[in-house]
Amino acid sequence: MKRVQYSSYFTQYFFIAPQLAIILIFLYLPIVQTFTDAFTIQDAFGFGRYFAGFDNFTFVLSDPNYITALKFTLIFIVVITFFSCSIGLLLAVQANNVIHGKSAYKTLLIWPYAIAPAVVGVTANYFFSERLGILYNFFNGLWGFDWYDNIYDAYIYVFIAASWKQISANFIFFLAGLQNIQKSVIEASRIDCKSSFRRFWTITFPLLMPTTFFLIIINITYSFFDTLGIIDTTTIGAPSGETKTLVYKAYIDGFKGLDLGSAGAQSIIMMLIVLVITVFQFRFIEGKIHYN
Amino acid sequence: MVINFNKIYLLFFILISRGGKMKNLFRFFIAITTASFFSLPTIAKPVELHYWHGHTGKLEAIINEIADRWNASQDESVLIPTSKGSYEDILAAFIAAYRAGEHPHMVQVYDAGAAIMVAQVKNGVVYPFEDMAAKYGVNFNKDDYIPGIRNFYADSDGKMIGIPFNSSTCLMYANMDILEAAGVEVPKTYEEFEQIAPKILEAGYTPLLQSHSPWIWTENFFSRHNLLMTDGNNGYDDVPTTTLFADTPEFITHWTKVKEWKEKGWYDYKGRAWGDNQAPFIAGEAAFWLGSAASFSGMKGVVPNFTVNHIPYWDSITGGNEYPTFIGGAANWILSGKSDEEYEALMKLAEFMTSPEQQLFYHNMSGYAAVTYSATDLANEIGFYEASPYHKAVGEQLSLTGSTIPGGYRAGNWPQIREVLYENYPKMLNGEISIEEGMKRMDDGAAKLLAQFAKTL
Repeated sequence: MKRVQYSSYFTQYFFIAPQLAIILIFLYLPIVQTFTDAFTIQDAFGFGRYFAGFDNFTFVLSDPNYITALKFTLIFIVVITFFSCSIGLLLAVQANNVIHGKSAYKTLLIWPYAIAPAVVGVTANYFFSERLGILYNFFNGLWGFDWYDNIYDAYIYVFIAASWKQISANFIFFLAGLQNIQKSVIEASRIDCKSSFRRFWTITFPLLMPTTFFLIIINITYSFFDTLGIIDTTTIGAPSGETKTLVYKAYIDGFKGLDLGSAGAQSIIMMLIVLVITVFQFRFIEGKIHYN
Repeated sequence: MVINFNKIYLLFFILISRGGKMKNLFRFFIAITTASFFSLPTIAKPVELHYWHGHTGKLEAIINEIADRWNASQDESVLIPTSKGSYEDILAAFIAAYRAGEHPHMVQVYDAGAAIMVAQVKNGVVYPFEDMAAKYGVNFNKDDYIPGIRNFYADSDGKMIGIPFNSSTCLMYANMDILEAAGVEVPKTYEEFEQIAPKILEAGYTPLLQSHSPWIWTENFFSRHNLLMTDGNNGYDDVPTTTLFADTPEFITHWTKVKEWKEKGWYDYKGRAWGDNQAPFIAGEAAFWLGSAASFSGMKGVVPNFTVNHIPYWDSITGGNEYPTFIGGAANWILSGKSDEEYEALMKLAEFMTSPEQQLFYHNMSGYAAVTYSATDLANEIGFYEASPYHKAVGEQLSLTGSTIPGGYRAGNWPQIREVLYENYPKMLNGEISIEEGMKRMDDGAAKLLAQFAKTL
């Protein structure tokens, strides 16, 4: 067999250069910039710049509002991931059982995925506005729902807005996962067990674990990073900053408050949090998943 | 472009004009048409003036109208206004553009950003209006500006840095139909409001709502009652290190009252969004709403029978005196890095925009104040305020005299300090923390942010 070898190093580099350029410019350059911002103090225009060590970090971490945002973000991640995954799974299982008009159901359930987070927020606004909101009035009738004043009501508002969009993403992945399960396995399980509920939890769900694991990571990143637009168009942190996520706080401090040092430090803290969560997942959860 | 297309054309013409006579004629025409096409850039073009502002909707349409008027009035320059979203968005957008060297000639920056902009004069980002007016010899009379407006966008020596443009202030809107139903008058003081609030409530309406607590019931609480808000003489003498919320008993009393009002149903808090607090007034469910002078343009023709009044004050604090409020809204700031020719055109534009006629037009359309006395005089001359009494309050309230505090505040990181206030007011109102505790937390939060800003100076 003939061995293929490049005559010069140049050719290879020539072909990977565009990719490398994109990675360097759009991935590594911003990271370097974030680090320089985090360790310097400067005004919004970049004047008066000097090295500040960990000043920005102590400033951020000593801020009680930052700790509030951190707590909320963790609750937010758990709730959004849990609800959007479980509802997505439920819908996928139901849609998979449908025989007539399967594609119509699928198409309709995927739609929300195409909507931008900010638009989701504006739409949710209509449901939760005091004057027009159907859901506001419904909940208000049940227990005096008032997200302007009550922290837990505000939580409910953002949880519903943020998980609604993600349900359809989870739905489509779970559906694909379900359709990938071999027919023979399902048929064999039917012979062995007549309870469809038990069949699902002992056979189907374990076989879906790779999809579930993947979706959990996707949902965590979504609720961590992509929900900025939703917060900004729904509660803006109401009642008093309790519904601000870490990303939203970094956005407020960096873009509205023009404090680049603090925003840089916050970005690095977030990077570390996501790193820890991901390492934890791969270490402790992935080991329990069987890919085949 | 420095390439001289005419020369290229001559060459092109010579090259193609070798051949028969008829062909020559044909080629001659081709060459002439193409030459005229390419030589277009050499014709003197008007200077393009880019202006970034933070207005949307109706107010944006008014700015476009001003631009059309300017562009039609002369042919030296063309004004190109661009809306960049909200006031906060525009600040971030233009700073990013400045750092990239792609900034406009003039930018609109709001009250809370004034400290940032004035601080940038020494770094050469912003050119002071007063210096530029002198340099390019435009018609400019400092004393013509209403003092409250003149001083707000000036440095500590009183030199005008920003060009006052859309100056509002907080005012009280009253629904006269509701007042009639309840059989009460528009109150001048909060004491009077407390007298009539029960009657309005009894008649089935919400007595009072208010948008933007940091602006109306904080910054302007201090100016309305002639009290200092931060140390360093509101930042005009020294860089401020702390706000004086917890140290001002009058301020604590005010918020204690507000909390009482909320419990009695005299005041309703609808979150921090501006529109949510304004909505009940527009729907005719609330008697009074404290908002901006510029809110007027959106309410005219929507709310049937309303008046625009001075914002109330506590008689017990001022001893019967009425002090002016700070101006709100924004000013236009001249940015560095453009050519002499462009600045000359820009200053002519500034002269146009601050002329009495244009200001009166803007005042009428938007509800923002007329920033000069000559514009107010013109308005009086033509009987403008008799025809439209809505417009009277803003100028009156800003022209009040007798204050011993500066006409503004110079505190850095103020947009974030407003966030701190927004976060603490609801907690104080729903009883999660006491008023005193809330004030202390606001001072602490503000002090930290002020210290962070002081590091960059």
